[in-house]
Amino acid sequence: MSKTLFGLLLRTLVVLAGTAFLTFALLWNAPGDPAAAIAMARFDALLSQEVIDQVREEVGLNTSFWPAFWSWLGPLLCFDFGNSAVTGRPVWPDLWGAMTYTFPLAFAGLMIGLGVALPLAIFAAKRPGRLSDRIAVAIASLGAAIPAYWLGLLLILLFAVQLGWLPAMGARTPAHAILPALTLGLGVAASLTRIIRSGILEARGQAFLPAIQRRGVPEAAIGRDHIAPHAAIPVITVFGLELAFLLEGAVLVEVIFGRPGLGTFLVSAIAARDFPQVQAVVLLTALVFVVSNLIIDLLYRLIDPRIGERDA
Amino acid sequence: MVSGSTVTKLALRVSDLSAMRSGRTILYPTSLNIAPAERIGIVGSSGSGKSTFGHALIDDLRRQGHSVAQVPQSPDEALDPLRSMAFHWQEAERALGLKPGTADREALFATLKIEKGDMRKRPWGWSRGMQQRFVIAMALIGAPDLIVLDEPTSALDPVVAAATMQLLDQHLTEQNIAMVLITHDLGLASKWVSKLAVMQDGHLVEEAATQDILNTPQTKAAQSLVAHRNWMALPC
Amino acid sequence: MLTVDTIAVKRGSKLALQNIAFTLAAGKTLAVVGESGAGKSTLIAAILGFLKPIQGQIAWSGQPVRSCRPALVMQEPRAAFNPVLPLRRSVLEPVVAAGQSVPEARIKRLCDGLEIKEEILERRPNEVSIGQAQRVGILRALIAAPPLVLFDEPLSALDAVTQKHTARLIRDLQAEEGFAALIVTHDLGYAVAHSDEIAVLRAGQIEEISTPQQFVTAPKAGYCQALRDAAIALGGLEAAA
Repeated sequence: MSKTLFGLLLRTLVVLAGTAFLTFALLWNAPGDPAAAIAMARFDALLSQEVIDQVREEVGLNTSFWPAFWSWLGPLLCFDFGNSAVTGRPVWPDLWGAMTYTFPLAFAGLMIGLGVALPLAIFAAKRPGRLSDRIAVAIASLGAAIPAYWLGLLLILLFAVQLGWLPAMGARTPAHAILPALTLGLGVAASLTRIIRSGILEARGQAFLPAIQRRGVPEAAIGRDHIAPHAAIPVITVFGLELAFLLEGAVLVEVIFGRPGLGTFLVSAIAARDFPQVQAVVLLTALVFVVSNLIIDLLYRLIDPRIGERDA
Repeated sequence: MVSGSTVTKLALRVSDLSAMRSGRTILYPTSLNIAPAERIGIVGSSGSGKSTFGHALIDDLRRQGHSVAQVPQSPDEALDPLRSMAFHWQEAERALGLKPGTADREALFATLKIEKGDMRKRPWGWSRGMQQRFVIAMALIGAPDLIVLDEPTSALDPVVAAATMQLLDQHLTEQNIAMVLITHDLGLASKWVSKLAVMQDGHLVEEAATQDILNTPQTKAAQSLVAHRNWMALPC
Repeated sequence: MLTVDTIAVKRGSKLALQNIAFTLAAGKTLAVVGESGAGKSTLIAAILGFLKPIQGQIAWSGQPVRSCRPALVMQEPRAAFNPVLPLRRSVLEPVVAAGQSVPEARIKRLCDGLEIKEEILERRPNEVSIGQAQRVGILRALIAAPPLVLFDEPLSALDAVTQKHTARLIRDLQAEEGFAALIVTHDLGYAVAHSDEIAVLRAGQIEEISTPQQFVTAPKAGYCQALRDAAIALGGLEAAA
């Protein structure tokens, strides 16, 4: 086990290093003159070549690729993302501020998704093929087909404009987070419902179940002890993908609801060609993914150790 | 019913069991008597309805309040690969209303010669032969009135299968437990049971003592099974 | 004649077979018996050339075995066919692969010999019984008249009565066609009743090669004897008088 853990950690590090290198290389080679873009963001006007060159030197764009890469990577290892090329302020506090908006939102979305999907899926799987199942599946399919921006606008129209129950724009109070979290959560619920439902149905088809029923084990215990673990395996797999959907969705939802957060942060950083900021966001995203995949891998091995053995 | 110091078990009886699958009758009304500690073989070719009858028999006797244990064809059909052997054992105890740890595991394991198995492991950590014996041991918890075995040897290598049958046979005799052996192989059944029930197309067509069926089979189905009961009996 | 000359075969880093040596002449049958994991499937893979021995050679009359186009009959009859094609298409594969014309007369004769109606060849694998599917599997194996046929547990998916019937059909066809048959089985009764020689495989090595008669009356002490006694206890064999 400690050996596989070491292997997984090593894999995590390799992925992170690769991501760091790739983001840097891609941004470095992006078309257009980054120095001009930065200068424009700073001074907000057409500028002379002199000013642009001055910016280039200041930001460190005048060196060649490798020295620039190493001088960025060095501090990064101590969690220092450098300073913003536009404002000159350190990246980390601003990034952290954005995270405190986005992560709770994403988490709330995930919980709403699970909270809706789990009962709906269990309800649907109770009598597969029957009307109750078809209705549940139809609701889930509908949820998956509706794009987040449309659902978001619909919710604003209903709860903020018509009913006036909830605020629509901004992020001043926790109540402001309800509609964005719902938008995000219902999208997640749609795909989770289908996965959990088919996971349960597949688990119910396991060859050993009739014998366990005949042994006299109560239905509730069978569901808890045998069906749930088997159904969990495909669900956990999808969770990793779901996370990608959540971060993507969060960007969109933040724009719709005018919330600060990673999405707004990233959009403005890209527009301004703010290298350090963009890189910081990309690296952070990569870190979230790699760590969550690490956790998923460990969970797999906990539920079904054969998965680890097959790899070895 | 207590006679002397040993508990006499009741005779078991199922009557008019039938079964349908997707609108087709796969088991016509069938009855069977099982005397205490009797060994009965339900034999027939594939699709004759013998396994269906076996399942219906278990469910019906359960409803009557008898304790009936089942051993499926392969350990894959009895054990959850994600759960440890210890979990399966405790689950079986709880299902019988026993407190965990009260069944005499050591004695049953010793009987079936699986004392060395690691209970913390999951089924696939054990050899198939040991898994099958574990399933049989589980079925014997609390000395049931009847144990139903469905092709118990087909998933095992012959040497292990023969040894398992011998150990089981001995235990059933000691504990006065009745046995129903479901198999397509009359050769196998005739070695271990005293009475045979021959199935064909969802009907129980013939029922008699093993020796009588071997010597004078009455129906076509029984004659075919007898003629094909082992490889040497055929005119080669 | 099939010659397996003291081969050793590795599977991964493990030695799966060693010191395996036997010959099998045309028209004769060799049964290979042993428990699961003894190396039976590895032996078949090695003879068909899918696994290369790290030592020794396998040859058919001095040539590589592949050159005689050996046929294989598999354990799971239905799994051996493409589920969406009618059986006829699958049956004709060996002929089409060799670029020959469709031997209608031969199909008819083999169908007669296997006691199957030609019509069932128009059906798909899941539309016939397992017993029928296995006979179609044998038909496919024999269609191009191979001199060597390998049977991998050909009867274990069938019930007791169908097993014996199918075994007799195989033997009768062998008498007509004269192919050499290598039958891998865990069923000692089948081996004793239908082979000229029995090789007992255990943990990758041959314990004993003997005639069925010898095997029943005086098996080598130890594993072979245990195997015979088990077959008697399970009703597959009758004790020698």
